[in-house]
Amino acid sequence: MNLIELRGIQKYYGDYHALRGIDLDIAEGEFFSLLGPSGCGKTTLLRVVAGFEDVSSGSVMISNKDMTGVSPNKRPTNMVFQSYAIFPHLSVAQNVAFGLRKRSDLNAQARMTLVEDALDMVGLDGYGARAANALSGGQRQRVALARALVLRPKVLLLDEPLSALDKKMREQMQVELIRLQRQVGITFILVTHDQEEALVMSDRIAVMFDGEVAQIAEAEDLYRKPVSRRVAEFIGTMNFLPATVAGEKVEVAGLGHMELSDTQSMATTDGDTMAGFRPETATLLFPGQKTEGRIASGTVSEVVYYGDMTYYDVTLDGCERPVRISMRNVFGRPVLDIGAPARLAWSPGAVTLFARA
Amino acid sequence: MLRAYVVAFLIFLYAPIALLPVFAFNSGTVIAFPLDGFTLDWFAALRTNSELHSALLNSLTVAGTTSVLSVLLGLMAARANIRYTFPGKAAAMGLVMIPLVLPEIIVATSLLVVVVQFFGWSLSLVTVVAAHVLICTPFAIAILNASFQSLDPALEEAAIDLGETRSSTFRLVTLPLIMPGIIAALLICFTISLDEFIIAFFLTGSDTTLPVYIWSLLRFPNQLPVIMALGTILVIVSILILTLAEWNRRRGIARMGGKDSGGFL
Repeated sequence: MNLIELRGIQKYYGDYHALRGIDLDIAEGEFFSLLGPSGCGKTTLLRVVAGFEDVSSGSVMISNKDMTGVSPNKRPTNMVFQSYAIFPHLSVAQNVAFGLRKRSDLNAQARMTLVEDALDMVGLDGYGARAANALSGGQRQRVALARALVLRPKVLLLDEPLSALDKKMREQMQVELIRLQRQVGITFILVTHDQEEALVMSDRIAVMFDGEVAQIAEAEDLYRKPVSRRVAEFIGTMNFLPATVAGEKVEVAGLGHMELSDTQSMATTDGDTMAGFRPETATLLFPGQKTEGRIASGTVSEVVYYGDMTYYDVTLDGCERPVRISMRNVFGRPVLDIGAPARLAWSPGAVTLFARA
Repeated sequence: MLRAYVVAFLIFLYAPIALLPVFAFNSGTVIAFPLDGFTLDWFAALRTNSELHSALLNSLTVAGTTSVLSVLLGLMAARANIRYTFPGKAAAMGLVMIPLVLPEIIVATSLLVVVVQFFGWSLSLVTVVAAHVLICTPFAIAILNASFQSLDPALEEAAIDLGETRSSTFRLVTLPLIMPGIIAALLICFTISLDEFIIAFFLTGSDTTLPVYIWSLLRFPNQLPVIMALGTILVIVSILILTLAEWNRRRGIARMGGKDSGGFL
């Protein structure tokens, strides 16, 4: 069952067209991400769901109820703000209890129990009496989560919640957010510009560019079958090579001929287009190594050593720009030097043909 | 060199004020050196002067009313200025702030013309309050602008998101967080109104304010030491109020965990 249904959402700020016809269904209990570069409209869309922005046209339905004209304090949504918006004049417990003020069915004891449970859930048990502005960034984040989750909203909206944290803390919070979401079973909608964060955390991801949804897919499908070159470039790294389609045959620069049906094709017409493959779908063969698959030849033009991985830039014969190949470093295998001849094992199944823009 | 300059500068600024208490405690009626002897008579004279008491009461009433009205207006203007964009905002804010730099004598004269000629109102403490609100509101706006500037808009949104209405959000979140700014604005407006002479002189009716009363005393040379005593008290009270305002403002910033971006002191 769809908890949230967005239909034909349009949003104008004066002449600026911020959202251009968004249709989106989000299921109950889903961890959904809105992913895109800054200015793509993802935060605006989140604020539309929260009720902080009204729409120019279109409808927002939550639990089959039309939310048009319903103010944020009457919606079954709660938000974790990018700045966390922890009330600095209140203690941690008072912050968490803030939304419970309107719950007249609770007595002081029940309220305190709920607050303590919420703090416990985010790993801040015993922090209730602390002043809110004496907390670290990660702790503020947890207070913001507890403050929203204590109300048991139908939807929790997270606006770039991890962007202010350092890398280590961010990775830790990613895992905790996933655990928390499974534990409470509440629908999470996460806004992020970090594709890795979206891939790690979400059940499904909507990639947005220029106020439009470019693709909605599960993480793996999004990575493996991007619908456009722009999505492919935004999610991870992809190598692009010029290609020509003629009937059932494709000619890709540097790789050679292949059957159109063997590739992941979105090109429907004959002519020039772009082919792409991910750095890890091809393998560099080392001297003497054999393969049954297809081989392209070229020259190593750059080597970047990352410890567990080595990234090679390989210029394929007949191509100007190098392609990037990532290789897991295995004990006993040599790292190729710049200028060394390279043999690239690849398969047509990993090649995506994009429709011409 | 610079040090000497600063010392000279401070002496130039404060020596006249430092003379106030010197002659306030001097038993001679002539304001000149050498000093005669120590006395508290002039302060005692203040206690029995009923005209002075009514002038003081008038001044306190005017300053109290003015500061409350100015801060109320300032709150609305500062919030509109920081939170919203609308056509003509810059022009509107500029016009509101202009009384800060207008010569007071011009403001006083034009207000007198407006009040007496156009409206035909009689002069009273009410007209003084109205004029003082005009010159105090820009100060209140300047202080409250800073308060709203350092207030994360997400805090108000968070309160609404957590179920509060706009008015309860203002009461529960906005007001406590800008309270230091409000108190500072109240105190500064109070001080400005209390000390203001020109406008009060033009617009006051039969009820005089304290500065106007002091001015009227200057016609009687033997009253000069009494003025010195009164002046001493006023200077001390002004300094106390401004210190309180600034202390309160800094405490507010510290509580919000923010950085100090300057104030009046």
